[in-house]
Amino acid sequence: MRRKLNLLFSLFIYILTALAVLVLGFVIYFIVKEALPLFSEVSVGEFLLGTRWMPIAYTGSVSFGIFNFIAATVYVSFTAMVLAVGVGLGASVFLSCVATDRMRGILYPFVDLLAGIPSVIYGFIGLSVLVKIFLKAGVHTGSCVLAAGILLAVMLLPFLVASCSETMLKEREKYEAAADALGISRWYAVATIILPASFKNILLSMILAIGRAMGETMAVMMVMGNSNLFPRLLGKSESIASVIALEMGTAVYGSTHYHALYGAGLVLMILLFLINIIINLVRSRMVQE
Amino acid sequence: MKWMAGFTKFWAYVSFGLVCGVILFLFGYVFYRGAGTISVEFLTEAPKGLVLGEEGGIFPAIIGSLFFTGTAVVLGGIPALASALYLVFYCQNKKVERLLHLVIQCISGIPSIVLGLFAYSFLVRDLNLGRCILSAGTALAIMILPFIEVRAEKAFREIPACMIQSSYALGCSRFYTITRIILPACRGELVSGIILGGCYAMGATAPMIFTGAVAYAAVPESLLSPAMALPLHLYLLLAQGATSMDTAYGTAFVMMAIILISNMLATIYARRSQKKWKRS
Repeated sequence: MRRKLNLLFSLFIYILTALAVLVLGFVIYFIVKEALPLFSEVSVGEFLLGTRWMPIAYTGSVSFGIFNFIAATVYVSFTAMVLAVGVGLGASVFLSCVATDRMRGILYPFVDLLAGIPSVIYGFIGLSVLVKIFLKAGVHTGSCVLAAGILLAVMLLPFLVASCSETMLKEREKYEAAADALGISRWYAVATIILPASFKNILLSMILAIGRAMGETMAVMMVMGNSNLFPRLLGKSESIASVIALEMGTAVYGSTHYHALYGAGLVLMILLFLINIIINLVRSRMVQE
Repeated sequence: MKWMAGFTKFWAYVSFGLVCGVILFLFGYVFYRGAGTISVEFLTEAPKGLVLGEEGGIFPAIIGSLFFTGTAVVLGGIPALASALYLVFYCQNKKVERLLHLVIQCISGIPSIVLGLFAYSFLVRDLNLGRCILSAGTALAIMILPFIEVRAEKAFREIPACMIQSSYALGCSRFYTITRIILPACRGELVSGIILGGCYAMGATAPMIFTGAVAYAAVPESLLSPAMALPLHLYLLLAQGATSMDTAYGTAFVMMAIILISNMLATIYARRSQKKWKRS
């Protein structure tokens, strides 16, 4: 009886794991499959580098170029990452070198609250606060890339703070006794030892943060203005994820437009995949050292 | 070089203050603006009136969101736990392990909107399920699977090897070891991981726009009917313009309250069941 139970449980685990992997693999396969028909009609270069996105032919010819969308996705993620690192690093220094263990126990879950807020609420607050501020400051209609960047930066903060302060805590444990023995002041030690020592891991979490920012849909879509333009800090633009979310409902099943949206999704997936590869490379090199 | 120390100190305090300020502002703003709308009627009535959200409440959206979240947690959580157990206790082949990690990493990298796209084409169209809780729940389940798996695997790996070895040495089967020793030992992390995954699923809008959430529906009766959901309701209220801002703030209030309460529960539960070997 007991042996049967053990066998049954093993079987259960094996089947569920296989199922999970198969489903996940199938999702990837399906997206690639639905994107490929596009490239029999539009060449890869035209799709990636073209700047005209005209899915319906009511003004002349159709055309599918997503260069502006790719640029906007990368641009807004980069802006967000730069903004988030400035604040996130400072906050992680505070958490790892000022806060006591008890304070950390309260402050970590507190910062983690940011990660729990749904992106639609970020978008909502962005619309009702940020966009209004930008409107008063003289930006037309108020929605712009910078507003999306600020929102995304807030969304990235909990991830950056968690990974950076973990690294810094480790470095602090390693060097604190030596620094104390040399009589260096605590803040001098932070500035000249702990920060440089954790630089590589910080870089890694920065790349990870860009990846996270690129896949974000709702918050960006709600405050970025959504028009097919090359991104400027105070101008409107449209990210890949927003194109998919806005146009999927109107694309005819099986049409080039439909496949082009899958193509855009595939491009986004490949960008994220490249980021993952870079991270793995950097990490394995760090382990070697 | 002295200025560097001072600058770092200044920078750390200011940015931590800024982070706390942002968090307090986000919650404070939504709670302050939304508090006026919250009433018993708002929480227990269906939307009424000609324009969505002009009158009435959000009861079907709250129940709908619970349905979506429940489906996602059941469909995503169980395979996530199973594959975490497999990776830590069953898998002996390094290649299989690496392959599994690769697939999971890929999926966690897929933007949620692309998962929505997949569920729309495959489940809603090809399998002819139609827009329903099950289709959207599956998309959400795929989204939270890596999220829960990573947390569960981390928790399992933190168990000291000697505990597992002692159990095997006493002649306990793998089943007995897992159900009596490992799962109870990781209870805190597992439960909080699942709660946070549920929150993540509840707040996600992108995967359910085309797959199951609709602008108006009654309280769902089965998994094969469409339903309302809080995040989509909020988005639609905003998209239709300034006619029902009060309801929008109220909806945001309810979502933030759910997030805050479940985060607190998860944290408290995880801390209470903290493992003995971690306590000093």
